[in-house]
Amino acid sequence: MELGLSAFVIFFAAIFTNNILLTNFLGMCSFLAVSREVKSSLGLGLAVIFVMTCTSALNYLVYHHLLVPLDLVHFRYIVFIIVIAAFVQIVEMVIERFSPVLYVILGIFIPLITVNCAILGVALFMIIRDYSFSQSVAYGAGGGIGWTLAIVAMGGIRQRMKGAKVPRPLEGPGITLIIAGLMALAFIGFTGMIQIQ
Amino acid sequence: MIKKRLFSVAYMFGLTLFFTAVVSGVYELNRTQIEVNEEIKLQKIVLSVLGIDVKPGIRDAEIGEMFENRVARHEREGKTVYQGFGEDGKTLIGYAFPLTGPGFWGPLYGIMAVDPQLRQIQGMAFYRHSETPGLGGRITEAWFSGQFVGKKIRRVGKEERHFSLVPAGTATAENEVDAITGATGTSRGVERLIDKDLKDYVPWIAQQRAKGLI
Amino acid sequence: MAKSKSMAIFVSGLWKENPVFRQILGICSALAVTNLMMNTLIMGLSLIFVTAMSNLTVSALRSITPVRIRMMVQTLIIASYVIIVDILLKAHLPDISEALGPYVGLIITNCIIMGRCEAFARHNTPWPSLLDGVASGCGYAFVLLTVAFFRELLGFGTVFGVRLMPGGWTNWTIMVMAPGAFFMLGGFIWVARSFGPRDGEKPEGAR
Repeated sequence: MELGLSAFVIFFAAIFTNNILLTNFLGMCSFLAVSREVKSSLGLGLAVIFVMTCTSALNYLVYHHLLVPLDLVHFRYIVFIIVIAAFVQIVEMVIERFSPVLYVILGIFIPLITVNCAILGVALFMIIRDYSFSQSVAYGAGGGIGWTLAIVAMGGIRQRMKGAKVPRPLEGPGITLIIAGLMALAFIGFTGMIQIQ
Repeated sequence: MIKKRLFSVAYMFGLTLFFTAVVSGVYELNRTQIEVNEEIKLQKIVLSVLGIDVKPGIRDAEIGEMFENRVARHEREGKTVYQGFGEDGKTLIGYAFPLTGPGFWGPLYGIMAVDPQLRQIQGMAFYRHSETPGLGGRITEAWFSGQFVGKKIRRVGKEERHFSLVPAGTATAENEVDAITGATGTSRGVERLIDKDLKDYVPWIAQQRAKGLI
Repeated sequence: MAKSKSMAIFVSGLWKENPVFRQILGICSALAVTNLMMNTLIMGLSLIFVTAMSNLTVSALRSITPVRIRMMVQTLIIASYVIIVDILLKAHLPDISEALGPYVGLIITNCIIMGRCEAFARHNTPWPSLLDGVASGCGYAFVLLTVAFFRELLGFGTVFGVRLMPGGWTNWTIMVMAPGAFFMLGGFIWVARSFGPRDGEKPEGAR
């Protein structure tokens, strides 16, 4: 069915109004673990943007040109995961081969990306919402950028908070979740900025 | 060394085959049930928006029978329309047609029923959506769709919308209904798609009626 | 198998080493589905099933699975069980299946399951692995149901759809939206960690 949502709008919505982390809660585990400071957050974020955009495109093609025609739709979970894992593996090998420097910097993030539920989540959402190819790619790219935006912002906040006195039981994940809640609240303010309909 | 690699590959292959077989098996066993669920769901909705009484706890087979006796489905020119008949199976009691359009998270699917004279809405219900449960998801609740029952279908210009979804509790005019608090995106989507489908179907049904086709 | 060991595994998964508030795993779904208790219950039961069965299978295969490909094997096993749950939900509980949407599929990436397979099932016999899976799943379900209880009660005034709040209550809609989820889970962690063993201290029966 014709959705009437331009790829552009989906792109911006995925970053602001429907931020995949702050609205859809995707990618929380690595978000909570890595967001201690801006540098590492940015590193992981950039990797996620790249993988998310490419795998969205790949998964779209695999779903619509392989699974649907062969009536194997119910295998989509396995197939998507394999596509993502394989892609990340290839990326790792390429980086290791062509830029050992980059590999040293990004190396530790690579296993984290495969289990980042945001990447699989984006693929599943785009199927449910029946996006076209350009819409899917826009969603993947926007989703990655939105995720990076959230994790970098969180990194900045936590960096600033290093000297603050946080109650012991709240240290770490507890306070991070509460900060995320405040960020989610702020992002809700973006609703209506983009006229989707 | 090669032997180890070969074993790994063979193992992975064999395991994949095994699990694929198991999953396929479960799927085949349940496939008809899934399809039946879909069909029954649709039939139930069409019956209820047409005002045909569907008692809770009714069995699936009974729904199929009721649908068979009291609804006629027509697909023409890419459009689907249902005719609802009274207990005698002959007196026309209303027309129903599908509602589709983007919601907030994903497409919304529903059915709307209008009276035989195409003057007012008899019923409306959404049966599929990807909205947030408890927020946008509330479009399936009786209070929401109930607002449309009895509303007159007016003549509107191309730019004007048939109905406006306004902040909950403030609907006063004939063409206003309450939106869902916290679900602005979904509400806007509903407003848009109801307008589009009313404009799409009502004149078309009138045309088909005039030709004596339905 | 000594009863006390079974109990120890169970208590560990449920409280001491609770996957959600201790190990901080499975957060995505803990936030996403907890705005209604019914959805949370089904999600919890699904996770218990998948974790238990995956643990059992991984454990049963542990001696013949080549070490290098174990992650792929685990993913395959977990994904298969998730698909089975998805199919069964679609066939027998279609409304709930639609409400849970993509979050059923996301059970695959739920770090809890992979975490248990790696940390426990790989090194233990099938029966304790099964128990561990059930225990971790229950620990997860316990946290989620508690969070969902407050979110549904404050956000809708109901629990499992049954109206509990007095008529004049204004719904705290924020509770069923994203920020409410974050605040509730953060708050839960705060409370739970205030009572449990202090971080750094070894809880008894730790693996």
